[in-house]
Amino acid sequence: MNLLNSNIKKVLVIIALICLLFLFVFISVLDFKVKDKFNGALWTIPAKVFSRSLDISEGAYLDRNRLMQELELLGYIKDSEIDRAGKYKLSDSSLTLFLRGFDNDVKKQEKGRFNIKFNSSSKVDSIKRSDGISLDLISLEPSAIGGMYPAHMEDRIPLKWDEVPEDLVDILIAVEDGKFFEHNGFSFKSMFRALFKNVAAADVIEGGSTITQQLAKSLFFSSEQTISRKFMELIVAMLIEFHYSKNEIILAYINDVHLSQVGNRSINGFGLASEHFFGTPIGSLEVHQMSLLVGMLKGPSIYNPRRYKERAKKRRDLVLSILAREGVYSSAQIKDFKSKSIDVIAPRYGSKTKHPAFHDLVRLELRDNFVDKDLRINGLQIHTNLDPVIQNISQQNLRSTISRLQSKYKANLEDLQGAVVIANINSGEIVSFVGSSSQNKLGFNRALNAIRPIGSLMKPVVYLTALKQHGKYRLNSILEDSKFILDLPEGGTWEPSNFDNKYHGSIQLHEALWQSYNIATARLGMELGVSEVLKDLSSLGFKAEQVPLPSHLIGSIEMTPIQVAQIYQTISSEGFHSNLRAVSYVADVNKKLTWINPLNLEQRFRSEDIHLLKFALKQTFVRGTARGYSEKKIKKWNTGGKTGTSNGQRDSWFAGYAGDFIAIIWLGFDDNRKTPLTGRSGALQVWKAIMKDIDPTAQRVAIPQRVKYQWVDLDDGLLSGKQCPNSIFMPFITGFIPKEVSSRSKNCRISNMSYRKEIYQKVKKIAEGLSED
Amino acid sequence: MTFNQKVDLSKIEDLEDFSSSVLELLSNENYLRAEVQQINASQPSIQRIIYEADLFWNELKISNAVFALERALRINKNEPSVYLRLAHIKMEEGYILEAKSFASRGLMIEDISSWERVLLGVYLNL
Repeated sequence: MNLLNSNIKKVLVIIALICLLFLFVFISVLDFKVKDKFNGALWTIPAKVFSRSLDISEGAYLDRNRLMQELELLGYIKDSEIDRAGKYKLSDSSLTLFLRGFDNDVKKQEKGRFNIKFNSSSKVDSIKRSDGISLDLISLEPSAIGGMYPAHMEDRIPLKWDEVPEDLVDILIAVEDGKFFEHNGFSFKSMFRALFKNVAAADVIEGGSTITQQLAKSLFFSSEQTISRKFMELIVAMLIEFHYSKNEIILAYINDVHLSQVGNRSINGFGLASEHFFGTPIGSLEVHQMSLLVGMLKGPSIYNPRRYKERAKKRRDLVLSILAREGVYSSAQIKDFKSKSIDVIAPRYGSKTKHPAFHDLVRLELRDNFVDKDLRINGLQIHTNLDPVIQNISQQNLRSTISRLQSKYKANLEDLQGAVVIANINSGEIVSFVGSSSQNKLGFNRALNAIRPIGSLMKPVVYLTALKQHGKYRLNSILEDSKFILDLPEGGTWEPSNFDNKYHGSIQLHEALWQSYNIATARLGMELGVSEVLKDLSSLGFKAEQVPLPSHLIGSIEMTPIQVAQIYQTISSEGFHSNLRAVSYVADVNKKLTWINPLNLEQRFRSEDIHLLKFALKQTFVRGTARGYSEKKIKKWNTGGKTGTSNGQRDSWFAGYAGDFIAIIWLGFDDNRKTPLTGRSGALQVWKAIMKDIDPTAQRVAIPQRVKYQWVDLDDGLLSGKQCPNSIFMPFITGFIPKEVSSRSKNCRISNMSYRKEIYQKVKKIAEGLSED
Repeated sequence: MTFNQKVDLSKIEDLEDFSSSVLELLSNENYLRAEVQQINASQPSIQRIIYEADLFWNELKISNAVFALERALRINKNEPSVYLRLAHIKMEEGYILEAKSFASRGLMIEDISSWERVLLGVYLNL
């Protein structure tokens, strides 16, 4: 019997030892996992894509309509009382706004209230801080426009300990785990209390988990609720407490918790939740806002303040009552917090990017400098040049103009598609990029990938090649627009024709361009040599190799809208080429600058040659295919451009610059069938609608030193005068100014000498008047 | 070209000649840079930005300096002090064509002082 007992004891001891060994191994494995997770990266963080941040500078022009739209996009609320971040008030001549502030390695803006005064011409007169201090520059925060996600689609903005408001920690502890600083990872009292309440209610109405247990569950386990999982959770919680400080634990919890779901995108952590619901960094949140977020922990979906405002408010007020009960705030403070409304903003973007075509371009630009994995998991902050207001203007006007054209042309234009590229002339920054007439739809990105014949958009290149030869071509040089048949080296002939199927005889060079005559252009191009023209096309920024075909001269050459934008950027920028750029810079997860996409300016053409070309392109608006604008508007915008229609009217193009912007519009069908549209009746209408809304103001550009203006007769191209009918004030290169005077202008032309005499008499009269005074 | 000769700085040939003489005087890149950093903007907001840019530049944080200068250009594209700095930075980085281009672009500004014109001309002579 004793022997039996002793054997049983031995067996039991061995079993106990084996169990202990298993427990030891099990705990060691868990311990390794805990340390491995905590010491490495706890989360993979998707990259975030931002629009540009708007600078408001004293003395600069600022379109108030666009500013209002920008504030609305950023979730600012119009109110009469500007008592906290995210509010603004507008009067006739001033704007008061409470900026949320932001800070990164290259740009920062303090949070606070500012007053901006405008003068009658929309210039910023003054900027003052609430304490009366004058400032010269403030910036709105950039707007989040999308992300690049890992497969799990979890998104967060990880906070550092010094970024976490003390109030948030106090609220969390009071509501979630009152004994957080006292326990070692679990609280039997809380667990039994919760068990008792749940059994009594025959439902799970209270969780007994400490913050550490909740963190352990979230980081290491699924949501399955079993006894064995609860036991493991307990061990992991103890291990976390053993290895890490309370501050580290609560920080991990603050960054980890799930707070909302938008499509496939999971909003995690208080840092992102703050931006997502209030459009502001966590440091700017007020107690009632933090209480709302903490209240949501119980059920992010059922207490979502956007969907269930009343329910969320009730929950927030309950949290505030707990804070009063726990003595975190006084009753008076709590009363004040409860009086605040639920002021969440509309979501900036969900799981899909707001602007898919632009997003494609961003990804393409980053491809050379970042591997795809880095973009998805390292929390990079991609700051782009996108102007969110101009992007909205482009999208809306492309859609509305297409729908207007569809009503006009009925079934002929069903499925008509379009693309818009808008860039800053001087810097090449892409401010708007639309690849489809259907908003926000991912699909074929026409702005980037639709390779189409550019029609007459090619002609300015031919004329630029000519105008570079000062001794041979001037704007008033006479070209022949008459029957032209070219024998091709490979056999056969090429006979270009005009859009109106007519010949226009002898015409001046500038007119041949703004009237868009094919035959005159083809003759000129053949005189110059197709290869020479293609060389200049390459200098303007078109990189693809081309076989020099004569038909290229009048637009059989194919390009994408963004390639067209690049060549017209160089033209509109006085011959200074700068690479078109969607991305401005990239910062790492700690907001440190890691990569910049700088302005690379390269003078590719003499500014005087471009000046002559731009003169002819301006005539498109004065008397050509884009006519209809007032002289005042043309001057304000300093505009110019070119319509383009491809063979069979399959493509309708317009490339035009106004103010600081170059905008390229393309309309057509994806299957390349014919449209009833020309460049004027199609793409130009979109351009006009967009520019009407942007209404840019051009900054002054100096006339190149070697350029002098002369009055010229519009018919014969010979010298004329200001007083002569049918005359045009035209630029010439110094040393190449025509000398012959038009026979029709001899009487009306004031010679230089008589003009000087006239001025002398005027000055003399004024001087006499002054001496009499 | 000597400094006693009468020069017409509006003529590009005279400007280039005169600037090449200045280049000799400022043959040390640091002297030239110090001279460029003396050139200030008229607009207060640009003054503040180029001050920040100079700080970054002196700390060899070139990307930050370039970003700041581009920000200044976004506010006012006709600011010679900004083109001068960008031309010099590009020269320091070895991008001579770009340095010349920034100088050329700066020279297209109407309201530009003679000294700014001469300094911009220096980069055309590189």
